[in-house]
Amino acid sequence: MIEVGRLCLKIAGRDAGKKAVIIDVLDKKFVLLDGEVRRRKCNVSHIEPLRGKLDIEKGASHEAVAAEFDKLGWKARETKPKAAAEKQVSKRSKKSAEKKEAKSQASKEKAEAGTEKKSGHKGKTTVKGHEQVKKKAAKKKPAASSVKKSAPSKNADS
Amino acid sequence: MPARRLRSRSFRRLKVKLPGNRVTIHYRKRVPKAATCPVTGEKLHGVPRGTPGQLHKLPKAQRRPERPYGGVLSSKAMREEFRKEARGMELEKR
Repeated sequence: MIEVGRLCLKIAGRDAGKKAVIIDVLDKKFVLLDGEVRRRKCNVSHIEPLRGKLDIEKGASHEAVAAEFDKLGWKARETKPKAAAEKQVSKRSKKSAEKKEAKSQASKEKAEAGTEKKSGHKGKTTVKGHEQVKKKAAKKKPAASSVKKSAPSKNADS
Repeated sequence: MPARRLRSRSFRRLKVKLPGNRVTIHYRKRVPKAATCPVTGEKLHGVPRGTPGQLHKLPKAQRRPERPYGGVLSSKAMREEFRKEARGMELEKR
């Protein structure tokens, strides 16, 4: 009864009542299911085999199973394709990168505001103030060219 | 004299014996009975005990288990139902 291609009904779990087909028998206890249920391993005691059997090979792909289900008039489980995965960046590094981006943006704006201000009071700029403006201008350049790599650029400056 | 609000029947009165050999009354809020399965009669898991007003405020997933007949039938009863359905389906398959 429990063999590759056997149609069955899942009787337990959140997929209960859904039709499935056995694509692989893992051992005496577990089988691999697919069909209206999610493609995953399942305990034999959680399925009730039906009288029908499909002609599929062991480990058939979801598309093959969906095609067979279509012939019976059943609809296999569909999942929306995920958006192309970004490069794996851990949450923490993402957060710190975003923070540094925001900081560099803020410093950029500050530098722009600073230069405008200073140009207004040309005669009154102190030496210290002038140096600060120069520093900010220097920071501005690398930050502008590579906003994403703001972490290394900042380190280089300081 | 107990506070007047404690006269409501939504409080149940509990007789408590104190260490000094005195008996006093403690007031406890009443809680609805636990949900039971109509088929097996056992208590249902995953269904909190609360008045409809309290349950209404919980998110849906916290009110019942995530499976067919969740919160209505016990898992045992549900499995039996689907077994019957599977046997019924056999005739169709022929």
